[in-house]
Amino acid sequence: MEKKIRVLLSQPSLENHSRGIITVANMLRNAGMEVIYISNSLPDQVARTAIQEDVDAIGISILCGAELIFGKDLVDKAKEFNMREDVIFMMGGIFPPQHIPKLKEIGFSGIFGPSATKEEIVGFITQNVSVN
Amino acid sequence: MDKTTKEILGEKIKDARWTPLYNPEALQRIDDTIGDWRETKVREADKKNWEVTPQTILGSKIPRNLFYGPSDVKDSDYLEDLGYPGSEPFTRGIHANMYRGRAFTRRQLSGAGSPEYVNKRIKMLLDHGATGMNLALDLPTVQMFDSDEPEARGHVGVVGVPVDCVADMEEIFKDIPIDKISASIVTHFPRNTAIIFPMYLVMAERRGIPWDKLEGSVQNDFIMESVVRNGPEFISPKATFKLQCDNIEFIRQNVPRWNYVTLNGYNLREFGSSGITEMAVALSNAIESFEEIIRRGHEVDWVAERVAFFWAPANDFFEEVARLRAVRRLWYRIMKYRFNAQNPRSMWMRCHVQTSGISLMREEPMNNVIRASYHALAAILGGAQSLHVDSYDEAYSVPTEESSLLSLRTQQIIEAETAVTQVVDPLGGSFYLETLTNQVEKAILDEIEEIEKMGGLSKCVERGWLQKKVSEFIHNEQDMIEKGEITIVGRNYYRTSDVKLPDIRVPDYPEGLEEKMKAKLDRIRRERDNNQVVRCLRNLKEACEKGENVTYHTLEAARSNATKGEMRRAIVEGFGPWRSGLIV
Repeated sequence: MEKKIRVLLSQPSLENHSRGIITVANMLRNAGMEVIYISNSLPDQVARTAIQEDVDAIGISILCGAELIFGKDLVDKAKEFNMREDVIFMMGGIFPPQHIPKLKEIGFSGIFGPSATKEEIVGFITQNVSVN
Repeated sequence: MDKTTKEILGEKIKDARWTPLYNPEALQRIDDTIGDWRETKVREADKKNWEVTPQTILGSKIPRNLFYGPSDVKDSDYLEDLGYPGSEPFTRGIHANMYRGRAFTRRQLSGAGSPEYVNKRIKMLLDHGATGMNLALDLPTVQMFDSDEPEARGHVGVVGVPVDCVADMEEIFKDIPIDKISASIVTHFPRNTAIIFPMYLVMAERRGIPWDKLEGSVQNDFIMESVVRNGPEFISPKATFKLQCDNIEFIRQNVPRWNYVTLNGYNLREFGSSGITEMAVALSNAIESFEEIIRRGHEVDWVAERVAFFWAPANDFFEEVARLRAVRRLWYRIMKYRFNAQNPRSMWMRCHVQTSGISLMREEPMNNVIRASYHALAAILGGAQSLHVDSYDEAYSVPTEESSLLSLRTQQIIEAETAVTQVVDPLGGSFYLETLTNQVEKAILDEIEEIEKMGGLSKCVERGWLQKKVSEFIHNEQDMIEKGEITIVGRNYYRTSDVKLPDIRVPDYPEGLEEKMKAKLDRIRRERDNNQVVRCLRNLKEACEKGENVTYHTLEAARSNATKGEMRRAIVEGFGPWRSGLIV
């Protein structure tokens, strides 16, 4: 029995748009991954849950700004709680193009906008997660 | 209720149709010759595919014929189904002279940033010819969290303006003639309407402006709070619906020229539903609200003349024009036949429209200018009262000053240069458009029937019916885009191999605003009479528990300079929390 890739999906505590996250959850499930969805959460709740659930990837959906602040807080918390180092951080939603390099610097390797395809998102995860 | 809306309308309308539009001889001649035409002129392939269903973003799946003629509308009765603009059944418009008398209100959203900045921005839009304004609130304000709560971190002033208490309202509207300009405050939910709108009223009160001089709208839609939005905490759909009705009653009693509800089809559709569901849900919500207000002892005509709707015109151009005409007729029929309204104003479906944001693409963003122009044109040909045109950079950020000016210009060009506003309902009488209007009206009514048979909208939401419908719609639409069944120029159709990110420079996070708002909150909490605040919040919580009208108590809390977060917590304590039914 092959181990399934586990992905945690969440939104910042006040983010009120869900279309994107519903779309992505569906894509990942159809690709045979396990999706753990926790609704709106603060960075430390996301980090704690990711460790408890032993996930391989974290996807955050943001449309209303705060991507840099929330992103940095989340990565800092992950370090503080000694999260596994090979967990990949992804972000999807609407943010200004000039924030993409900054998000990569913070530690988000996968950044997806509203037009990202299933191939791009699923492909990114399968390439970057090593399931042993 | 013994009968459903559909059953009531079916009985009443049957008796009203008595003058067929065409004489039978003429129809017979058309039927005799059309067969010949089909045989000799129409290709086999087109005969086979006589009906096609357009596949568009947010489309309805109503099939279309190759061609429409008089036979398609032979059962119409002109006076019962169309009539004249400004007369029943209002299909052709709610005013006799429509845009000749008054152009659609050019109501663009007013931007984000600090209260002082937004004050300047509103003045800029008014100077450029905007005739109303649309106050966008930041995310913490929409979700009712104070600027200094941990959840608000990173969100203060980003997608709208922060309003923590009355002092912020005073700053936003400083020197703006609120007794002359209509203000639409985008509150979204019943709960934050109850919290934020009283702050506006207290601001007017402190400026000495009587409430009967105030004009504008709030949104106040429980579907927005319980289904469309996501958030860290909810109260039950039943409690949310009650708050919606409390707001309606309070505003009707105290602010006579204010639109107390904007039934928001827009956000439900953009979240993921067809234009049919968008309207069926909003109309069901209106029907149930009026039932509740009548149950509280008010007359239907007392409440109904101020209802407003909010729709999302998207890509299927003729369907969008048809939808506005169909929902205007259906609303009239519901008010006349189901509620026995007497005042014509109660039967008007007045609406604000915002062009569809979901239909705008990230690739080649300038294409969005063209898309939004068609959306806007459809809304105007459909007879909307008020319009916001989305901006080309929608898939990147909150619109910049430059792109929001271009949106305003889009409206002005249609209004001043194309002459489409010179004739009322210019597409009325088109065989195609009238057929589609009939089909759309029937489809909306069928879906209202479905909701009523399940026990009404609150129950549908509590059981997750609507949430499930939305999730399925999203999955299905995504699938169709991936398969290329829905074609999108620049994305899956004529996509250039080299997709470059455009150079869209959006203003960065408002530097230092969060700290400034926190300092302001500290100062206000120090300077106000905190005993008075505690008393008001306790009364508010008890009003929720006892079933009193809550809005009278949030007004008192606003007067005491209580903050939105403090009021939110009192309301949640009063009603108790509820788990969201979002299906991911």
